Amino acid sequence: MKSISANGAFEENIPQRRRTGQIWHTLFQASTIVGIIFLSALLYSVLNQTFGLVAIENQVDPAALAVGGVSVEELSKEQLVAVLQEHVSKGLFRRFEYDRPFAQRSREEVYRLVWQHVVAPQAVETWSLYESIFARDEIEAAVAEEFPDATLQFRSWLNRRLLTASQSSDPEQAGIRTAILGSLWTIAITILTAFPLGVGAAIYLEEYAPDNWLTRLLQTNINNLAGVPSIIYGLLGLAIFVRALEVLTSGAMFGATDPTTANGRTILSAGMTLGLLILPLIIINAQEAIRAVPDALRRASYGLGATQWQTIWWHVLPNALPGILTGTILGVSRAIGETAPLVVVGASTFVAIDPRGPFSKFTTLPIQVFQWTARPQDEYRNLAAGAIIILLLLIITLNALAVVLRNRYSRRL
Amino acid sequence: MNKLTRDVLLVGLTLVALLVTACGGSAPTTAPTEAPTEAPAEAPAEAPTEEAPVEPSGKGVSLPAVNPLELEGDIIAAGSSTVYPLAEAMAERFKNEGFAGNITVDSIGSGAGFERFCVAAESDISNASRPIKESEVKSCQENGREPIEFRVGTDALAVVVNPENDFVANVTMEQLALIFSDQAETWTDVNPEWPDEPIQRFIPGTDSGTFDYFVEEVFDENEEPILSAANTQLSEDDNVLVQGVSGSPYAIGFFGYAYYAENEDKLKVLSIEGVEPSAENVDNGSYPLARPLFIYSTAEIMQQKPQVAGFINFFLTYVNEEIRAVGYFPASEEALDASRQTWLDAMGQ
Amino acid sequence: MRDTALSLDVQATGVAAVDLRRKPRLGEKVIQSFLLICAVTSIFTTVGIVYELARESLHFFTRQSWENTNKRIVADVGAQAATFEVSQGGAVLREGDIVRLDEEVMQIVSRTSDALTVARGQQGTAAAAHDAGATLFKASRATLREFFTSTKWNPQIGHFGVLPLVISTLITSSIAMLVALPLGLSTAIYLSEYASERARKTLKPILEVLAGIPTVVYGYFALTFMTPLLRSILGRDVVEVYNMASAGIVMGILILPMVTSMSEDALSAVPNALRQAAYAMGATRVETALQVVVPAAFSGLAAAFIVSISRAIGETMIVAIAAGAGPAFTFNPFQAAETMTGHIVRISGGDISYDSIDYNSIFAIGLLLFFMTLTLNVISQCIVRRYREVY
Repeated sequence: MKSISANGAFEENIPQRRRTGQIWHTLFQASTIVGIIFLSALLYSVLNQTFGLVAIENQVDPAALAVGGVSVEELSKEQLVAVLQEHVSKGLFRRFEYDRPFAQRSREEVYRLVWQHVVAPQAVETWSLYESIFARDEIEAAVAEEFPDATLQFRSWLNRRLLTASQSSDPEQAGIRTAILGSLWTIAITILTAFPLGVGAAIYLEEYAPDNWLTRLLQTNINNLAGVPSIIYGLLGLAIFVRALEVLTSGAMFGATDPTTANGRTILSAGMTLGLLILPLIIINAQEAIRAVPDALRRASYGLGATQWQTIWWHVLPNALPGILTGTILGVSRAIGETAPLVVVGASTFVAIDPRGPFSKFTTLPIQVFQWTARPQDEYRNLAAGAIIILLLLIITLNALAVVLRNRYSRRL
Repeated sequence: MNKLTRDVLLVGLTLVALLVTACGGSAPTTAPTEAPTEAPAEAPAEAPTEEAPVEPSGKGVSLPAVNPLELEGDIIAAGSSTVYPLAEAMAERFKNEGFAGNITVDSIGSGAGFERFCVAAESDISNASRPIKESEVKSCQENGREPIEFRVGTDALAVVVNPENDFVANVTMEQLALIFSDQAETWTDVNPEWPDEPIQRFIPGTDSGTFDYFVEEVFDENEEPILSAANTQLSEDDNVLVQGVSGSPYAIGFFGYAYYAENEDKLKVLSIEGVEPSAENVDNGSYPLARPLFIYSTAEIMQQKPQVAGFINFFLTYVNEEIRAVGYFPASEEALDASRQTWLDAMGQ
Repeated sequence: MRDTALSLDVQATGVAAVDLRRKPRLGEKVIQSFLLICAVTSIFTTVGIVYELARESLHFFTRQSWENTNKRIVADVGAQAATFEVSQGGAVLREGDIVRLDEEVMQIVSRTSDALTVARGQQGTAAAAHDAGATLFKASRATLREFFTSTKWNPQIGHFGVLPLVISTLITSSIAMLVALPLGLSTAIYLSEYASERARKTLKPILEVLAGIPTVVYGYFALTFMTPLLRSILGRDVVEVYNMASAGIVMGILILPMVTSMSEDALSAVPNALRQAAYAMGATRVETALQVVVPAAFSGLAAAFIVSISRAIGETMIVAIAAGAGPAFTFNPFQAAETMTGHIVRISGGDISYDSIDYNSIFAIGLLLFFMTLTLNVISQCIVRRYREVY
């Protein structure tokens, strides 16, 4: 800082120190900006793959489907049905008839079937949003050269089909419906497991626990558990819920086994594993919320003759509830995004039907993203990006809800 | 068993009875479009049942027609990552044509698939890119399962390098053994004319039938050299291998042909001993690394779960229509006929 | 006397008699016990974790696993024969190896290129006759010494050295900390010392959003953005498709919000009086921040750093997606090498039978991981307790 010069006078050295100060200031500001840049880069890389140009090729050229000089758009319903019958497999045609007899279908419906199954447009190449906007000419040239039969279309991979279709090997048909339902079922079990246990434990530790070694042990234990990596919880879930408690988690005890899996790799195991994972979080947050309730409230209640539990239930908890809910919501948003423990507990690769209950096989949204990311084809990259946006929206909504709750109610007391 | 299973069994058995007595071989007759429980004694109206089973050579074996709309229940398949794209394609077609139940296919490796089939007895169908081992047959029998084999196709194991690799287009079996073993660290160690860069190896994991097959053909069943080699990445997920090879100019890897076919723009396939992996070379047997693809089940499962029998029937009937699109090669007609005959024997015809 | 003191005289007050003795409340006791049970579940979790990890690790270190050597005996072997021929091919057998034929265990005394001389009937098994074609199995066992010192991890062929996985974990975590620590601390200093109230109100939620993003998204980011970026900057020959560096950098971004948030809390907890005193002495802002506030908040900062390291070590999905799929003993961050957590996920992602060597091995690795993170967490708590300045 200040320096003492050779002759003993005190030099304040202000200009240099000010300069140093400004440099550091800029450095600190820059670091903050870097954090924001990283977030933007993340969002950019996801959005970049969600929208873009695709080169669509038809399996069968619509011009070839013309009958007697009449192009396929103009054909009558009977002619369209004939075209359909000629080009799709017998089994598929039979299935269409079974779903809804052709006699009852409108011409537009049949035309759509012809388009979807006979003409069958497929994406052969995709480009990112950046390339689609800034390198449009090169893309068009490349397409003209490599895929002369293809047309260029701008597509959003985040569309209704993504949300409503189930898993498929064809990127054109794949969707995340099974995964979302799996996630929702799992989270329901997680909340049912973690919330009562967590709040109960927090109440005990804050209101009832005497200041002895047991309490200190419990507190230290919970703090340590909060820092244990999530994959260890996965191992615990595998060993205990999937293996040791297989009778319970597979539903055999209730006679309700899902016919597709006779073992413990069910939603129940997954939910309980995640419940244990977020339990320390919920306890710590709930403890803080309960601690924040002013003691005066409790004293007043005792003064009126209430018992301890009456005080807690009628006065402390209602006041601590926003904080408890905030903690729970944060825990849930963490659980929704967890992948590693569920992979260890045993999520499935290809589940084509929605989960029917807690004893079903499962796959969740983050696991679906994980699987799609691992595939090298470009279309899966795009699908993964779309699914990530859905996942992020879900989690950001939850986090925003928690923050709003915390801000609104923390000022009250 | 619960009510649903009982109903399914009842319907299924009736349907099987129907199908068996129906006219075999020709186009599926007007399949009932109303609720399948209409069932019983329509049977005798069709042509004599003798037409269904083995016809003298030339015509091949045909299976009774199967209508996915009439089947219900669940089918669990698991096993080889090589067979996975084929099984997935057949399962999807089965569902598209009206199957209302649940089909799950897990890609975990041939070894792990047999484990699930024999020891845990959790799957109905086991996919494999290698024949079942003696020890696996034994452990199946210990658990009351007698596995039966269905040949469904042929794979030409593709040995791939990065498209930028311009120095190797053909390898001999000895060179293959050297490239993937711990004896060679750089490409120069294998052939002095090749660049002095470390070899990046991407191979299937030890649970994979592809791994077993490669070790058997190239290393005479000794897995130590390949597992001790440096710079080796193992994965049961062939997609990871594709990404790895396509990402590094000095990489080499091997997996089922379908994974190459789907990523042709990112990979370059090598010919072995001068023979390219193509449809004709696989058919005439000149490609050294052509191997059969199988699915396994048991007669008991097929009879108790008619939807499994129906699916296998569907598989064997339509596999040649889908297999090329997936990227593999059809098995010979004799092999498919033998599989179909196995199906008929298993169903007691 | 008690009764009279604790009940109101009906005559005197005109209200009904009220008994004010303390009532035994059974309901309260029940509720209290129930809440205690809730709290104690946390202990069960820890006990469960330690018990299961320890049990399977014990199996891992004590089991004798039999690998199929793919070698078979060529002709029938009687119960007395000490030398017999074996087929070519298959795994390599050495002197001293323990082998098994059907139920009998033997030890190899010497070998030639196609015959083995053995000591029969070892390990309490009885010497018996064996038919031609019976397969030979070789025994392998994991020892603690090999676990911690060997540099090859390949349980299928008897290599049980965990070092490659540990080194890879440490390298990725170090890279993560190199990214997160400076950036996190600087951001925290900015937020607590320089930023206006409004800036802080907008920036903190943004950082919390970063903290909430699932790790699989970061993994996707690492594979699709960071790796190509590194490869275009440093060259495709230097950086492999799967490498530790891009996973490490993205992991740093992952723990950045945690470091920032905890550091900012620690810095804010320093009472303003200290700052005012420094200003009064003529110090500039940065001098105050760096030479007064940061040292004062040292315990909180140290705790923040150590907890973040522990989080980086335990991180799974980013490394599973981007760092590689095969254990490799290397110190080059641009090469692919599997970490402890990535290995656990890869092995259990397929399918494991409950008593295989692979199943036991993931628990052994998990136990090691648990101890590493537990030690770090305990150290951070100790530091907080010892160095916390009480104001």
